[in-house]
Amino acid sequence: MKNIARQQMSIKVSSMDLLNNQIKLEAHASATYLAMASWCDQNAFTNSAEFFYAQSAEERDHMMKIFKFISESGGIAISPTVEDINHDFSNLEEVFETALDHEIMVTKSIHKILATARNDQDYVVENFLQWFVQEQLEEEKSLRNILDLFELMGRDGIALKLIDERVTRGE
Amino acid sequence: MTSVYQSKFYTLYQSNTDRYFYIDFGQKVVKLSFCQLLALRQKVNSISIEAHFDADLNKHGFEVLMLCNKEHLFLLNTLEILDLKNLVCYGFALLGISSENTMVAS
Ligand SMILES: [Fe+2]
Ligand SMILES: [Fe+2]
Repeated sequence: MKNIARQQMSIKVSSMDLLNNQIKLEAHASATYLAMASWCDQNAFTNSAEFFYAQSAEERDHMMKIFKFISESGGIAISPTVEDINHDFSNLEEVFETALDHEIMVTKSIHKILATARNDQDYVVENFLQWFVQEQLEEEKSLRNILDLFELMGRDGIALKLIDERVTRGE
Repeated sequence: MTSVYQSKFYTLYQSNTDRYFYIDFGQKVVKLSFCQLLALRQKVNSISIEAHFDADLNKHGFEVLMLCNKEHLFLLNTLEILDLKNLVCYGFALLGISSENTMVAS
């Protein structure tokens, strides 16, 4: 039997399913960061708002990167639906902490797909995901740096203003 | 035409001459490009079989399946859906682009 299916698609369908799920996660992250930007704007944390607007755009880029990879591999990329976006936070620290938790969740998901791809000898996918492994490391680090500021400067009104001033886009 | 996999109700064929796939649904045979076959897999896999056992979610236990950009329409019951899921799972494994592990999982 000729392998017509393999001629049409360079990745395993199991990888495709997991990558489509990752598209959903990236879209969810993008929308979550937008909600965080909105909260920061409402509470006059201008730099933090800018930080989250930039993060939101980055997550959309991640989503598109995976989306196009699936299409270019001959698979079917699924446009995601996004639900359950939280807009309520009790303070600025909680916003950044939630963002870090979100990134950790995404990191775990990337690692899981990579492990599955490796197991299935789907080396194209494994190679594609290496960029994301590095990216996740950097995103976690930048959020951790911001969270360190709360330990350093405290959590009263003035401290929060100073922390916000220190938050820069893509720090 | 080569038979790839036969489930209880359906058969998946591959044609080496026109590079299309064919599914014999019993009442009719549907011709699918690889992309359309992938789309069928997507649709079949996203059907919640659990909903068939919950009268609030799926009152009558039927599923409407549209294929090839709405060219074909099927009305399938629970057993037929289960069988189609089986066809998709084993069919893709035999086509050689599925994970070796999914067969054990599903
Ligand atoms: Fe991301
Ligand atoms: Fe991220």
